[in-house]
Amino acid sequence: MSDPNLDGGEFFAQFLDDYFAECDEHLTLVRRHLLALEEQAGRPGVGQPLLDELFRSFHTLKGISGMVGLSEAEQLAHHLESYLRALRQGEARLGDEGVEALMAGVLMLEQVIAARRKEVAAPGIDAAVSRLQAAMSDSASDESAPPTLAGAEAEGETPRPGRDEAARTWRFEFAPTPALSERGVNVNSVRARLQEVGEILQAAPHVRGHGGIVFEFVVTTAADEAVFEGWREENLTYAPVEASAGDETRTPPPRPGTSPEREQVGAHAPVAASPGGAMLAPSNVVRVELSRLDELMRLIGELVTSRAHMEDGLKQLRRSVPPAEWRALQETSMAMARQLRDLREGVMRVRMVQVGEIFERMKFVVRDLTRESGKEIKLELQGQETEIDKFLVERMMDPLLHLVRNAVSHGLETVAERVAAGKPPEGRLTLRAATAGDNVLIEIADDGRGVDAERVLARARDRGLVAGDVRLGDELLLQLICTPGFSTRDEADRASGRGVGMDVVGGAVAELGGRLTLSTEKGRGTRFTVELPLTLAVADALIASVGGQRFAFPQSAVREIIEVEPSAVRALENNEIVSYRGGVLPLVRLARLFDLDEPSGKPFHVFVIGSGAHAVGLVVERVIGQREIVVRGLNDPLVKVAGVAGATDLGDGRVVLILDVAALKHSASGGRQPGQHVRARTRR
Amino acid sequence: MVAASLRGLPAANFGEAASGLEAIERVALGPVDLIVLDLNMPDMHGLEVLDFLRRHQAYRDIPVIVLTTRGDEASRTDALAAGASLYLTKPFAPQALAAQARALLRAQPEGA
Repeated sequence: MSDPNLDGGEFFAQFLDDYFAECDEHLTLVRRHLLALEEQAGRPGVGQPLLDELFRSFHTLKGISGMVGLSEAEQLAHHLESYLRALRQGEARLGDEGVEALMAGVLMLEQVIAARRKEVAAPGIDAAVSRLQAAMSDSASDESAPPTLAGAEAEGETPRPGRDEAARTWRFEFAPTPALSERGVNVNSVRARLQEVGEILQAAPHVRGHGGIVFEFVVTTAADEAVFEGWREENLTYAPVEASAGDETRTPPPRPGTSPEREQVGAHAPVAASPGGAMLAPSNVVRVELSRLDELMRLIGELVTSRAHMEDGLKQLRRSVPPAEWRALQETSMAMARQLRDLREGVMRVRMVQVGEIFERMKFVVRDLTRESGKEIKLELQGQETEIDKFLVERMMDPLLHLVRNAVSHGLETVAERVAAGKPPEGRLTLRAATAGDNVLIEIADDGRGVDAERVLARARDRGLVAGDVRLGDELLLQLICTPGFSTRDEADRASGRGVGMDVVGGAVAELGGRLTLSTEKGRGTRFTVELPLTLAVADALIASVGGQRFAFPQSAVREIIEVEPSAVRALENNEIVSYRGGVLPLVRLARLFDLDEPSGKPFHVFVIGSGAHAVGLVVERVIGQREIVVRGLNDPLVKVAGVAGATDLGDGRVVLILDVAALKHSASGGRQPGQHVRARTRR
Repeated sequence: MVAASLRGLPAANFGEAASGLEAIERVALGPVDLIVLDLNMPDMHGLEVLDFLRRHQAYRDIPVIVLTTRGDEASRTDALAAGASLYLTKPFAPQALAAQARALLRAQPEGA
């Protein structure tokens, strides 16, 4: 066997990338299955498919870790695999301690792989390994397998593939029947199964009794006998080769003198249909670097701009081209618009991953924190199937983790505190994801003590962040706790002190064009809502003119457009309102907000933003049209303005500002004079 | 390809096997009237399969056409000695294969 630590230069680096990607996939699967398994722990005979899947994943992880010479990962995977094997064969029963050991092992495996990725020293794995061994020997029942064998497996001081000292030679016999063949159990699948557990030294057909055929396989394997035990039901019998003949019914007949050459079952042997038919089909999955998709998205963005340009050109041609020709051109252009949209959506879909992937990691974190903090927490997940851009997922991971840690360490109370407050002892933490128009909402809600507004306020006063008499709403509260360096706890405990503060959370969300909102009630709980755009680059927008200038409004935010006669506007205190759907709608005069000229006396249009009591109407003069726009962020701090989400080019070369209607709405409904700060900063 | 050229045979059902063991399994599981056998297979040599079939009462009389790229006389002799009903070399004429198959099926003794 060659030295697995040998470094093969460039090839190896590339190989490593593949390795990490594959590890990711398997670990994701493993996490999902483990959590499912946890729910079934303690019940006998449940979750066999889960155990099979887990076993396979660990087996693969072991193999690939061995290939890249990451021996810690290989060893861990080996022990995980051994335990799984014992569980699979009913040799060990899965109790709570077993689940804990598996989880700890997987966490450690993740860390070891992550350490390799960062090229730092791997953490020690001994604790996790001995825990697995303990779990295995605790639960091993000695009836189905010789305990010595299980013990030898568990010790496994040499977990390299091909542990020859433990390997034994077995003679398997498979008798095919039409019924088995229908179930997919045939000589090929049996062969594949045997190849999975060991090395096939020889394979040959034999005729038995009345003309029936059996296939004999001689296999060396380190696998425990328990692994094959269940196979007997499928006409796959076995006996150790060393065993003296005749002592057991399943002993094969003396081998007739057929061609004794060793069978070469090579790489081109048919790929295994795994037992039970559960196939992981990695063959129809292509791994693509995210940057390539970004490039595609950028190109589509350019296409969208070019088409807009073309459409403008078309409009100008209208008078100089015969109507029939012009219409044909126009139709082509419209077809192109549709196709572009489909293309954009197609690329977007490629980038989408399910939020559940993040949630599952959260589950792990919550489990850990629960144990550490001694609190009792029930984690509820909703909307795991919601899809979100892969790019966003990567960026949101840490902020979401932080929010979850916050909820556990600051939000939820200890059991005693909860009982004293008359709440159920078990705290509830809800992670919810949903799609809302062009946005994805992710909520982290707990039913804990709520944010202590008094304390936040006191601290903010100490630090001179607010005036003495300010009234503290949720929004201001959020602003305060998102202030860099702001923390109401002096000692950063492990849960929340991992380098990401609320200011980083707020920053990350804003950077992605999203919005973070807080709603909290003392004694009742806290809810953080992260609202993220589904897509980053291209969005549908309504173009409208305000004070002679054009602005783009994200279409997803506009509920309705209404036309209003100036006479319908009534003044109420400092606000203007119109009646709208049986209620009133406060108006925000964008022209005033941006210090632009406002023609008076003419009917105008109002974009209705939000719903119910929170609805706000943005006043524009004229709706120009609906467009797909390419969103370009305004990152220069000099032009970064609340209320403006970015800029776009409508194809005629002129830049149009994209309004952040949610921010505008909030500045309007937040009790302050709408957009004061906006005006101050938009002036040149 | 081989199967396609035999489609012309009346009322024939085809099964394909990708390896020697699989071929033997097929023979064991269902009645097989005729076998077209390649010599190069991933696990067993075609002649081993043939040898196996010929040594067993139940399969002794199934006609086996060996179809191979090995045109040398030694291989041909070996195959025929092992009990091949016919030895064809690739490239082969589909019609010839079909005609030979038909002849072999007809020649099969009744009630064997």
